[in-house]
Amino acid sequence: MPDPKKPRPPFSPWDRRELPGSFTVEETARRVGNYKWVEMRLFEALGGWVATVPELDVKMRLGTHCYKHAWHSELWHKRLPELREMNPDRLTLPPNDAMVEFMEALTAPEGEDKTLEKLVGVYRVLIPHKIAAYTYHLNNTSTITDAPTIRSLNFALGDEFEDWRDGEMLIQSMIENDEDVRRAADRQAELESIMVRAGGITGPGSIGTEEVPNTVEANA
Amino acid sequence: MKRHLTVEDLARDGRFVRVNMEDRMNDPRNVGGPGAYGRDAAEQAGEGGRAGRVGLGRMVPDAPNAPDAARSLMHGIFVGEIQALEGAGRTCYDFDLGDGADQVPYALKLDMARQCWDEARHCEISVKLTEWMGTEIGEFTESPFLFQAACNPDALLRLAGVNRALEGLAIDVFNTMRDFGDKAGDPVLEFCEDWMLADEVTHVKMGSDWMRKLTVNDPERRARALEFQSVVDKLFSLGGGRSDDEDSPIRLARRFRQMAGFTDSEIDEIAEVSRQARNEAEDRVAARRAAMAAAAGSSPPAS
Ligand SMILES: [Fe+2]
Ligand SMILES: [Fe+2]
Repeated sequence: MPDPKKPRPPFSPWDRRELPGSFTVEETARRVGNYKWVEMRLFEALGGWVATVPELDVKMRLGTHCYKHAWHSELWHKRLPELREMNPDRLTLPPNDAMVEFMEALTAPEGEDKTLEKLVGVYRVLIPHKIAAYTYHLNNTSTITDAPTIRSLNFALGDEFEDWRDGEMLIQSMIENDEDVRRAADRQAELESIMVRAGGITGPGSIGTEEVPNTVEANA
Repeated sequence: MKRHLTVEDLARDGRFVRVNMEDRMNDPRNVGGPGAYGRDAAEQAGEGGRAGRVGLGRMVPDAPNAPDAARSLMHGIFVGEIQALEGAGRTCYDFDLGDGADQVPYALKLDMARQCWDEARHCEISVKLTEWMGTEIGEFTESPFLFQAACNPDALLRLAGVNRALEGLAIDVFNTMRDFGDKAGDPVLEFCEDWMLADEVTHVKMGSDWMRKLTVNDPERRARALEFQSVVDKLFSLGGGRSDDEDSPIRLARRFRQMAGFTDSEIDEIAEVSRQARNEAEDRVAARRAAMAAAAGSSPPAS
């Protein structure tokens, strides 16, 4: 029987967590507020699209994914007040106007012949950008002071990877010819250009690059 | 994407056949129609059914048309699940956040998103069940009545019409189907209905909870919502097929309705509406039979 009084180190030898992190409380709250805004717009759009897609398997997947993003938004909604009593409503914001434009463009397709456009926007543009921003946050925040955010990021990322795979496979199953390939590529390019101007789901610095990335116009 | 769709906007693949409510109710294969599935031989011969009653009867496994009755009902449940999914999804999208009559609280949207997931699972369950029971998608028609109730511009009325009235009906139907599965020796049907029943109780409770929360200071809105619920209840009283009677086609699931926030007097009211509808249906059946008998009597004998 081990001696219960024997001193042990406060951190077990295998526990490599560190204090330093890249984000202040305020910066964390800002990002979390952006996350909540994006998750909300996404679950609302997925819910709204369910009735507009004729493909039964897509309909059921969108309904399932709708809830996951609603739940992520709730995780962030609950995290905000813990970050020094931040007001969730005041901080539930897009990072900039370009992100608003992005979500408007993402949710614009409506007709029953636009399933491919809907899916490409979510699963080839938005979700990869969410995975990127969440991963950057996860890898750069303090593993000790910000453990609650890390826990929520891990929950959200688990869903994002799974949903991205679901969505990508639906897209692949719907692309049947060159015209479909072009439609998917055009749609991705259209939205990616706006996302570049937004700088990611939390604005410039979403994945650590602090400078505002070159816009498509500047490169042209 | 625009807000507030109509039933015409619902997207379906080529297998689905849409009909309006009137056509569906007049479909002779439906419960309550002439020659309806699930009646015993005596009823089908027009000689009075169980307990000497002419008219509606409980679906029993040994009735000659029970398998078809169950398949028809299951297909109806399947398309109802699709519409429930679509309706909950639209309520996530159609409203801004806020406390106004044309707005919804954040928590209500979260509930609707949760319902989306549940209804998506119900679609998965019921499409597998329809296959299990030997039915193909589109073999029976779809009437978009549930989604119609989910198009109301007031989110609370959507909850009253869909979550309280129609999903309340779903509680009764799933409970009945679960018992049918038990009696028919179909453990798959019984298992699935039991799980869906659990979720529906949650959905009805969401409706009851939001009804209370959103109208705590607004008795007029509450009255409007209850009136809408009662109109939907009356419309779907299934020709009186829903009651406390042991042998009614759809038995009122009192215990589950209580769990979902219905008061005893509300359940009594549904039973009363159903009783009235049953009397009306039986009067119609009697009138139809009398007319058929008169027509047969006046026609020339077959050579
Ligand atoms: Fe359901
Ligand atoms: Fe439901």
